[in-house]
Amino acid sequence: MFTHLHDMHQFLGAMDLFRNRMNTIFNDFDRTASPAYNWVGTEVHPPTNLSDSGDNLEIVAEVPGVKKEDLEVKIQGNYLQITGTRKNAPPEGYKTHRTERTRGSFSRSFTLPYDVDASKAEATLTHGLLRLVLPKAETAKPKQITIQ
Amino acid sequence: MSTNTDLVAQKDQGKNISKQLPVIAPEVDVFENDQEILLQADMPGVLKEDIVINIDNGKMVLSGIRRLESVGADTWKEFGEVEFRRNFSVPQSIDTNQVNAEFKDGQLCLHLPKSEAAKPRQIEIKAG
Repeated sequence: MFTHLHDMHQFLGAMDLFRNRMNTIFNDFDRTASPAYNWVGTEVHPPTNLSDSGDNLEIVAEVPGVKKEDLEVKIQGNYLQITGTRKNAPPEGYKTHRTERTRGSFSRSFTLPYDVDASKAEATLTHGLLRLVLPKAETAKPKQITIQ
Repeated sequence: MSTNTDLVAQKDQGKNISKQLPVIAPEVDVFENDQEILLQADMPGVLKEDIVINIDNGKMVLSGIRRLESVGADTWKEFGEVEFRRNFSVPQSIDTNQVNAEFKDGQLCLHLPKSEAAKPRQIEIKAG
């Protein structure tokens, strides 16, 4: 009885996995079709989110297992580059069964929608997410116009 | 006027939200030596308290919920709030009471030690 249940679970687990894969396929389709997004798929690495809060641009990148000292962020005007190395060599004396995680170096560059003030930029690394808060340059900040 | 007839405010709304999160399988590396099986999984952005590891009847379920605080309007979004979930079959040779896990920099490191009986042993031949 138990073994039957177990088989059933495994079968359903596989179905779940398949369904999730299918779901993400369509997400990618939507993304490429929308003019608001760049032409990106799952291949870009590391994946990032960019949001605009008026005064700041905030960019978050997924960098699990990357150390602070192995990350480098360069900003010039509205150009941003994130480079890094992930040092997760297989442990000594172990036999490898599966390696799905990315390893080695990566680099990604962006053209930001606004110029940013690089001297006031802040970067934090928590739980494998790199978060950059980039204040917009004075000229790029929204200005309120008083109506005459 | 509210048409809600409940006397008590419902508190299980958090649960409902977590059920609606898309589920994705975390990427894992699996290694083995004579003492243990070592499993490493990427779960960027997940907090330690939001990770659940259940081992039952030879099956291990790994689950971690990622919540993101968002500020302002999204210009682009390539990852979102998800539940990382994946099932594994655990061999009988694993001592499930001794399993321990650590979580650092968005990666989970799970040590599954083999039980004494399953470790390789060299038999000495006695002189006859």
